[in-house]
Amino acid sequence: MSETEIIQKLQKGNEQAFRELVENYKKMVVNTCFGMVHNTEDAEDIAQEVFIEVFRSINNFRADSKLSTWLYRMAVNRSLNFIRDHKRNKWFQSFEDSVRSKNALHENLINRNTDHPEYILENTQRATLLHEAIDSLAENQKVAFTLSKYEELSYQEISKVMDVSVSSVESLLHRAKKNLQKKLYVCYKKKCI
Amino acid sequence: MQTLHNKLIFFLEGDLPEKEMELVKNHLLECSTCAAFVEEMKKTLGILEAERSPAVNPFFYTRLKAKLENKESESKQVFWKPVLVRVLQPAIFSILLMIGIYAGIKIGQPAPAQSINISAANIDIISFLNEMDSESIEGFLME
Repeated sequence: MSETEIIQKLQKGNEQAFRELVENYKKMVVNTCFGMVHNTEDAEDIAQEVFIEVFRSINNFRADSKLSTWLYRMAVNRSLNFIRDHKRNKWFQSFEDSVRSKNALHENLINRNTDHPEYILENTQRATLLHEAIDSLAENQKVAFTLSKYEELSYQEISKVMDVSVSSVESLLHRAKKNLQKKLYVCYKKKCI
Repeated sequence: MQTLHNKLIFFLEGDLPEKEMELVKNHLLECSTCAAFVEEMKKTLGILEAERSPAVNPFFYTRLKAKLENKESESKQVFWKPVLVRVLQPAIFSILLMIGIYAGIKIGQPAPAQSINISAANIDIISFLNEMDSESIEGFLME
């Protein structure tokens, strides 16, 4: 089924078309959300919200942009909202919850390679450091960086998703990388790992 | 050297022009600190590749469908919620408040005056209680 066919059938409320849409784009949406929130469970929850929104507002979809661009935009916006809510609720979050979310991240890395514990530990520390460095970036730099690195989108594609010019994307990515290097250098000097 | 140091991440990403790439490469051969940092940064940024495209839960669609159905049933219930919250709740609270105020006023009021002849009754009681009139204490002591 082509993209146009899926949209047309979805607008008529066809469930099979919705299933196909989810199967085709779930990896892309989950990956984008993961790049923003760095937690698989949260990323899947946000991705589900994105697909629910697609199902409900497919009639508002304008054919002048690609479906993937629309999905990326929704995934990014939902993730940013999630991060803002999460920050607001951080004061009320229990210690157990924060430990659980850290453990989920560690398990995710452990599942990739169980033969070398020292390699796992080092990777876990590196992942935490990298996530903290990415999270410390300004919101638009983080979005541009995530779309570029996790989804390997071109500058043009990122500019369409973010609704900015290509030169703005270039500038955002340049500043994001510069800031990341600064953060990583501070950690390198302090011997964090 | 400071300018080259700031460009290390761009060197790793291959974002520099050929001339600058060469300059940084030569600098890394001479500067062991920068070379070690580049190596560290390469490993850390390599995490991005490992994290890319995480395995999605095989029951993703099933869970999504269940969530969608739940939301639909919730939205039907939500229709009654504003009526309950905005109309019934304040009405019940107002009625309870009025009942409370009325009960408070009723309890606080003095008992109504009785219509019996109090003056006659009082005299009888006083004469009954005041025995000093009929039998004075002095008289009692003198006996």
